Amino acid sequence: MGKVRIVTDSTADIPAAVREELGIEMVPLNIHFGSETFLDTVTLTSEQFYDKLQTSGVFPKTSQPSPAEFLAVYERLAAEPDVEIVSIHLASVLSGTYQSAVLGASMLESAKVHVVDSRSASYGIGALVVAAAEAARAGQSVEQILQLIERQREHFYIYFLVDTLEYLQKGGRIGKASALLGSLLNIKPILSIDPEGEVAAVDKVRGHKKAMARIVELLERDIADRPIRLYIAHANNQEGADQLSEALAERFHVRAAAYIALGPVIGAHAGPGTIAAFVSTE
Amino acid sequence: MSKRFILVNGTDFAAMVFAGADNLRNHAEKVNGLNVFPVPDGDTGTNMNLTIASGVEELKKKPSAHLGKAADALSKGLLMGARGNSGVILSQLFRGFAKHVHDLEEASAQQLAAALQTGVETAYKAVVKPVEGTILTVSKEAAKHALQMKRTADVLELMQEVLGKAQEALARTPEQLPVLKQVGVVDAGGQGLVYVYEGFVAALRRGGSFGDMEDDGILDAPFELAGPAAAVGGAALDLAKEVHAAASRPAQAHLATEDIEFGYCTEFMLTVVPGKVQGQVFAEDAFRAKLGQLGDSLLVVADEGLVKVHIHAEYPGEVMNEAMKFGDLSRIKIENMRDQHAHIVEEHAGAVSAQALASAAVAVPAAPAAAPRPAAKRYGMVAVAIGDGITDIMTSVGVDVVLSGGQTMNPSTEDIVNAVSRIDAATIFVLPNNSNIILAAQQAAGLIEHKQLIVIPTKTIPQGLAAIVAFQDKADAAANESAMNAAIKRIKSGQVTFAVRDTNMDGMEIKRGHFIGIEDGTIVCSQPGLMDASKKLLQEMVEEGDELVTILTGVDANSDETEELCAFISEMYPGMDIELHAGGQPLYTYIFSVE
Repeated sequence: MGKVRIVTDSTADIPAAVREELGIEMVPLNIHFGSETFLDTVTLTSEQFYDKLQTSGVFPKTSQPSPAEFLAVYERLAAEPDVEIVSIHLASVLSGTYQSAVLGASMLESAKVHVVDSRSASYGIGALVVAAAEAARAGQSVEQILQLIERQREHFYIYFLVDTLEYLQKGGRIGKASALLGSLLNIKPILSIDPEGEVAAVDKVRGHKKAMARIVELLERDIADRPIRLYIAHANNQEGADQLSEALAERFHVRAAAYIALGPVIGAHAGPGTIAAFVSTE
Repeated sequence: MSKRFILVNGTDFAAMVFAGADNLRNHAEKVNGLNVFPVPDGDTGTNMNLTIASGVEELKKKPSAHLGKAADALSKGLLMGARGNSGVILSQLFRGFAKHVHDLEEASAQQLAAALQTGVETAYKAVVKPVEGTILTVSKEAAKHALQMKRTADVLELMQEVLGKAQEALARTPEQLPVLKQVGVVDAGGQGLVYVYEGFVAALRRGGSFGDMEDDGILDAPFELAGPAAAVGGAALDLAKEVHAAASRPAQAHLATEDIEFGYCTEFMLTVVPGKVQGQVFAEDAFRAKLGQLGDSLLVVADEGLVKVHIHAEYPGEVMNEAMKFGDLSRIKIENMRDQHAHIVEEHAGAVSAQALASAAVAVPAAPAAAPRPAAKRYGMVAVAIGDGITDIMTSVGVDVVLSGGQTMNPSTEDIVNAVSRIDAATIFVLPNNSNIILAAQQAAGLIEHKQLIVIPTKTIPQGLAAIVAFQDKADAAANESAMNAAIKRIKSGQVTFAVRDTNMDGMEIKRGHFIGIEDGTIVCSQPGLMDASKKLLQEMVEEGDELVTILTGVDANSDETEELCAFISEMYPGMDIELHAGGQPLYTYIFSVE
């Protein structure tokens, strides 16, 4: 049995150290400020991005990697003998990244690539990728890893708050939360990623504190008393991340916790100030 | 000429009703003045007058010597025109009455007494929590007395007794309802009923000579009575007139079909195809501006090359031609609103079902990828509100129809039925946003077929907004109803207005012209100055754990004072979020919600 290598893209928001340790390959998306183009998290860090967002006054655009970029990574990995590749990507309803990966994979002849639509975003992908990489390192087969990904998905819960729906709207990723657009009241939608990978509003409240409390309630409903692994992600909003983390730690048995920085591409679509809870009970 | 009435037929009954309505109209302002709260918009008299005027109108349209038919006509008119709690109860009293005499060509004194009693029973059933010391009690005691007059063969004598008993019962209402005693008034609705009975007696005394009834002016002038003119004084009078003029405008029944300027409700999706027509580049703002010249009620929502367009236009073709410069059209839906409106008007005449509305929709198959008319949506929402700002907020959070009205001008049952029939949804939530509109809304619920109507008993604008925020498109109707009801309990509502007379309530001395703060239906402070009253009210409302104060400014709020108020909140309650909106409501300088 050959070796399984794991590929993802920059929107999985996996910290570089974790990627290196687990040998995860990452293909960056592109981010454009006017005529300037950057490689997501590579030539533009999260910190630089949020600075630039504030100072430039330009609304950034993003684009998927080309099939050739995926092909290049796949070819490099396939240079080793007897390698199989599992390539896990941003929800296909949110981005053409998955499509690019599928095209890249179809051009590779020397090895087999399994392209997986995560139907999720940010650490919703990241957690799947890390679990897959750990399983690969433990010598599990592609079949087992693909099953593991599905199982992980079933025990994964995502809620997030954006400061404004403007970024989701401008980026065209508002999905099923569009009903809240144009509201003159400052309504805070509690957002999630639905099973298809689309952004969906699961509830709405007025006021930030109530939104936090509501996320705790929703998670209580989802996971009852099971212990959790908790990943709090934020777009330049450490204070909000701390509040959410404390509120959840108070109520749940947290086995492991980590902060995740939302990368430039995810940040460009969710907007600065966004905080997210990624919770796994596996 | 006087005649002895042993039997009363439809013509006699009509004369009684006309005289009763006339008498109520002449005294409507007095009834308005009996408002318990010294607020500038007491309107029980106005409401009852408009209710009975609607009954009279129907009765004049369908005159009949057959008592049962005349009473049916009255009942139908009252039912549709019912406004305010007393108006709704009045309509129920005569609904029961009409049921009882339905088959009778004419009725004896005993039959009339029994009909009055059926009316009382019907009205009690219509009210969820009947309160004694109100119009209900007055009607009940009068009917009970009438039933006891078994030996009376003379209808005039019977009605005189009924009137006498009603007056006695009215005089006792302050003993039954402490708040009346505190303020020193009798119940306004009960007083209205007494005026109606007075008219009945006067008509019977005149002895059936009703030649001048066509000229009684009831139908011509019902609106001039509305308003707190007598109590408030000059400055507020003009404002009140404006309010009433505004409030009466949107009621669809008052609008002639030919008054619709842009006749076609046009909706479609535009898929932008870059370069479709050379030199035409789609720009949302320019596109919106261009369409804006072709109609009103314009909505353009663009999302990644897909543009949803909604407009009321006279020439839908022009709109689509413009759009087709930029791409392809799909999901085209055009409705003739004049047809639709004519249907609604007919519906009120008692003929057409709600389904007729749906058939007015025309699917246009000409354009590429035209889909059939989308199915009716699952949910709709009707809210009652007054003020441009509040109306805009309501619309922005998903209310389909905002009915103009509030404490000053309660929409009628018919207005609510109208609004509901304009929405093509399976379940429609109605938010009355005023305690005096809840009954009319519930009555409307009973009149709507083919649609589920759920009344959320919101008593204030803040409660209405809280209910809207709690609504979830994906949840089922029952879950939504309970979530919305729970939401209105969690929010605190405050209103600031001025007192129109001296009074004493809950040990608080209220002076005419002072500003009063009302929290959820209770006056909690009265101060000579607006700022003092507003701050005091906020202090009463805000509790530990509250995090958001929403301020809706009225037309007479000034920005310096509003700023002062915001500064006060920030200083008193650090960390409190403040949301400030121009509500545009009359008479209430500020509406607060605290949550």
